Amino acid sequence: MKQRSWSDVALNVWGVAVLVFLFLPILVIIVSSFNTGRLLVAWDSFGFDAFGAILTKPAIQDAVMVSIQTGLIAALLATLLGTLAGIAMARHPGRWAFWFIGLLLLVSVTPEIVDAVALLPWLVFLGQDLGIGLFNDGIARLVIGHSLFSVAVVSYIVRARLIGLEGQLEEASADLYARPLTTFRRVTLPLAMPAVLAGFLLSFTLSLDNTVIAAFVQVSGTTPWPVYVLSALRSGLRPEIAAVSTIMLLLTLVALALVAVVLRRAGDSATQIARTMTGN
Amino acid sequence: MRGIRLPRFALALPAWAWLVVFFVAPVAMVVYFSFGYKPGIFGTHATDVLSFDRYGEALSPTFFQTFTNTLWVGLAGTALCLLIGLPAAYWMAVKVPPSRRGLLLALVMVPFWTNFLVRTIGWQVILAPEGWLSSLLQGIGLTDGPLDILYTRTAVLIGVVYNYLPLMILPLFVAFDRVGGPLREASKDLGAGRWRTFTRVTLPLARPGVIAGVLLVFIPLMGDYITATVLGGARGNMVGQLVASQFQTAQNWALGSAMAVMLILVIMATVAVGGLIVWLATMPFRLRNRLVLGDEPASAPAGRSGDDGPAAGGAEPVRTEQGVSA
Amino acid sequence: MSESRPPVRILASTAAAKAISAELSRRRFLSFAAAAGATGLLAACSPGGQSSNAPQATGGELENSLSIYTWGDYDAPEVLEAFTAELGPTIQLDSFGSNEELISKLVAAKGTSGYDIVVPTGIFIPQMIENGLLTKLNRDLIPNIEYVDDAYLGRAWDPENEYSICKAWGTTGYVYDKTVITRELATWADFLDAAQNEASGRTSVLDDPGDLTGMYFWANGIDWNTTDEADLAAAEEFIVNTLAPNISAFDSYPGGAAIPQATHALMQAWNGDARIGILESPDPDRWQWVLPGPETEIWMDNWAIAAGAPNPEAAHAFIDYVLTPENSLLELDYIGYHTGGKDIEQAAEDAGIEMLDLVFFSDEQLATMREGEVNEAQQTRVDIWNKAKAAAGA
Repeated sequence: MKQRSWSDVALNVWGVAVLVFLFLPILVIIVSSFNTGRLLVAWDSFGFDAFGAILTKPAIQDAVMVSIQTGLIAALLATLLGTLAGIAMARHPGRWAFWFIGLLLLVSVTPEIVDAVALLPWLVFLGQDLGIGLFNDGIARLVIGHSLFSVAVVSYIVRARLIGLEGQLEEASADLYARPLTTFRRVTLPLAMPAVLAGFLLSFTLSLDNTVIAAFVQVSGTTPWPVYVLSALRSGLRPEIAAVSTIMLLLTLVALALVAVVLRRAGDSATQIARTMTGN
Repeated sequence: MRGIRLPRFALALPAWAWLVVFFVAPVAMVVYFSFGYKPGIFGTHATDVLSFDRYGEALSPTFFQTFTNTLWVGLAGTALCLLIGLPAAYWMAVKVPPSRRGLLLALVMVPFWTNFLVRTIGWQVILAPEGWLSSLLQGIGLTDGPLDILYTRTAVLIGVVYNYLPLMILPLFVAFDRVGGPLREASKDLGAGRWRTFTRVTLPLARPGVIAGVLLVFIPLMGDYITATVLGGARGNMVGQLVASQFQTAQNWALGSAMAVMLILVIMATVAVGGLIVWLATMPFRLRNRLVLGDEPASAPAGRSGDDGPAAGGAEPVRTEQGVSA
Repeated sequence: MSESRPPVRILASTAAAKAISAELSRRRFLSFAAAAGATGLLAACSPGGQSSNAPQATGGELENSLSIYTWGDYDAPEVLEAFTAELGPTIQLDSFGSNEELISKLVAAKGTSGYDIVVPTGIFIPQMIENGLLTKLNRDLIPNIEYVDDAYLGRAWDPENEYSICKAWGTTGYVYDKTVITRELATWADFLDAAQNEASGRTSVLDDPGDLTGMYFWANGIDWNTTDEADLAAAEEFIVNTLAPNISAFDSYPGGAAIPQATHALMQAWNGDARIGILESPDPDRWQWVLPGPETEIWMDNWAIAAGAPNPEAAHAFIDYVLTPENSLLELDYIGYHTGGKDIEQAAEDAGIEMLDLVFFSDEQLATMREGEVNEAQQTRVDIWNKAKAAAGA
C-alpha cells in the first residue's frame, strides 16, 4: 500500500477519539459496578456485592430480559417494514413517496409522550373492546410502541443508501433474465445491506432506551429495564444497576469478539461474508 | 420488477399500514382532544364542546421563549453531531479495512446498550466539580479551581451530542460506504486532489445520507426534553417539557395535545425553512458539480467495488466511467 | 361506554340529519378514547370502585401469585422473598415513574390492568377513588394496621383509611454546603435568600410544581394549597422573576448524585434522598440538612389495592405482612424513609441505622408538615413551574 498521508493519520486519530468519547462514561459505569456502597455514584470499596444483589432481585432480571426481547423483536420488525418501505421510496418514487416521507417525518417529530398517551387507550381498545388478545400481551404492546420511530429511521437510512442508484443494476439483472424475486434477493438487498444492518442496530438501541412510551403501554409482568431504572431513582440508584450494564457489555463484547475470530479463522470465504455484510 | 402489476408503493404498504394503525389512528384521537377542554380537577379531557381555545392558550410567550432555547440546542447539537460524526463515519466507511467495518459499526452502538440514565450518571461522575476530569485538569495544572461545567450550555451540548451521535454516524457511514473506492480512484486519476475528490465526488454522492443524518438528529432532538436537562439542568429546558408537563403533571390532555400540534407544526416549518436555506446556499456548488459529474450528483452510480455478484460486477465499470467523465 | 344507547331524536332537514347522524356515530366511535380520562363517563362505568365481576377478599385461601405495581427498588428484597417463602404467592414486581403514569394505566385498563397492589402518593388518592380505580380494603384481613402509628393514619386524602395504608412517608427540606454558605439557615425564607446570594447559580429545586410554589407559600405563611388568585400571582411574580434566574437545575433526586458529587451548594430535597446523599458523600460534615420552618410538606406513598385486582386475598395478606414491626423495620432500613410504624424509632436505633434525624421527626416538627392536594390551582402551578423553567434556562 501507499504511504499514509497526514490526512489518513488525522482521520484515524479522530475515529479512535470518537470511539473513546463514546465509551468514556461506560468505563465509569464498569468501575462503579464493583462499588460495595449504597449509591452507584459514591465509591465505597471494591467488591462483587452488586453482582450478587442482582441474583436476589428477580425484578431486575425480568426487566432486563423484557427489554432485550422487546428490543430484538421490535428491531426485526422495524427493519423488515423499514427496509421494504425504503426500497420502495428509492426505486419507485412518485407522488406517493412525497406523502409517505411526510408521514415518516410526522412520526419522528411527534413527541413520545403523545405517542404514549395515544397508544395506551388505543391498545386497550383493540385488546379488550375488540377482544384481540395479542394486544393484551405486554411484549407485543412494547414492540408496537418501540417500532414506530424505528420504522421511520430504517426507512430513511435505506432510502438514503439506494436513492440515486436509479436501479440500473436491477435493470441489468432483469435484462439477464433474472426473475424479479431473484433480482431483489441477489441485487437490491445486498446493495441495501449496510443500511439494513445499520437500521437494525439503531432500532435495537432505540428500543433498549425507550422509557416514555414503554412506561405507558407496559402491562403486569413486562416492566422494561429503562422504566425500572427511572423508577428506582426514588430510593437512590444502587450499584447493581451498573453491574447489569457491565454484564450486558461484557456479553456483547464477547459475542463481537467471537464473530471477529470466526471471520478471521474462516479466511477468504468469511471475508466474503464480511464484505457482503458491510456491502463491499 | 417488470412484469408484475403492482402499484409503485406496494413494498411500502406494510410500513404504511403499520403506521396508520398504530400511529395515525391513535394520535389523530389525541389531536382531536386538542379541540376539547379539561373537565374539572380529576378529568384529563372532554370533547363535548369543541373550540380552538386550547391553541390560544398553547401559543403563550412561555412557549416561544422555550422554543427559542430549544431551537438553539437543536441547531447547535445537530451541527456538532455533523462536525464530529462526518469524519468518523468517513473513516469507518473508507479508511478502515472492509472486514472490520461491521464490528466497528457495532462498537459505535454498544455504549448505547447501557441504560440512558446510567450513562448520564457516568458523564456526571466525569464532569462533576470533584470528578475525574476536574482532578485530571487540576493535576496537570490546566485549571486552578474545580471544573465548573455541569449545568452550563456546554454540558447541554455534551449530553446532546453524546446521545445523538449514533443517529448521525450510522446514516453517514452507510452513505459514504456506497461511494466505492473505484470512483474515488477515478477522480484522482483524472487529476483531482484528495480534498477535491472528497468535496466534488464523495460528499455530493453521500448527500442523501447527510440529509438523513441531519433530519434523524434534529427532528427527534427538537421534541426531546430529557437528554438536554440531565447534564445541562435548567439550561437544557426544552419545549417538549411543556407538552409533557400538560399531559403528566397538569393532567390536561386537551392543552397538551394542542401544544403538541403546535410543536409539530413549528418544527416542520423550521425544517422547511432550514431546507430552503441550505438548498439556496448550496445552489452554486450543485451547479458546478453538475458540470463535473454530468447528471444530478445523486443519480451518479454508486461506486460499488465490483465484487458483489455477477450482475453488479458486470455493470459497474461502464457507469463509473460515465459518472466521472460525462 | 354506555351499553344501551337511547335513540337520539333531532328535528333537522334531511341533508343536515345525515351529517348529524354521521357526526353522532363518529362521536360514539371516539368515545372509547374518552374512557381514557373523562371522569363522568368512567364513574358511570364502575361506580364506587368495585368492579362487579372482580373477586373480593374474604379471608379465603391465598392465590398463587401477586402483582405489585410500585416505585422501582422500593421494597426490601428479603421481605418479598420471605413473604413468598412463608405464605406462598409468587410476587411479580412492576415499576412506574410517576403517579400520573399509574393513573393513566389504571384508567385505560378499566379494571383489567392485572395489578393487585399499587402504591400511589397520598394527594392522588382522592382522584383515584373518585375515578373508581381502587378497591376498598377489607380491614378485617389487615389486623396488623395496629402497628401503624396513629399519626400516619387518617390523613386528609383517605380519612378513614378505607382505601389506603401508609407505606412510607417523607417531608421536604433542603441541604446546603457549609463551605459555601457559612451562615446558619433555618427557614424557607433563608433558602430563598441564600439562593439569591451565596448560592446563586448553584441552587437546585425539586422538579415538581407543588414543591416549587410551595417554598414561596411556606416562607410567607400562606396555605400551600391556596387557590387564591392574588396569592398565586404573587408566587408567580417572585418565583419566575426573582428566584428562577438563580436556579441551575430542577432535580428531584439530588441525593442520588448531586450531593455526593458536590455539584450544587443549595438543594431542595426530600429527607430520605438527602439522607442517602449525605451518608454517601465523601465529606458528610460539609453538608447541613434543614427541616425548614415555619411550615413544610408531608407526603406519603400508600399501599392500596387496584379495582379489579385478580388476587385480592394475596394482596391483603401482603399488606398485612409488611406492616409487622420486623418487616416494617427492614423496609425502613432498605429505602431510608419512615414506614409509619409504631415505636419503630427505638427499634431502628437498636438496629444501628445511621442518621435517624433525617428519618424521624419530633411531634412539634410533624405539626408543621402540611399535606398537599390536587386542586383547581394545579394548572396555574404547572404554568408557574413552566415559566420558571423558561426563565431559568434563558
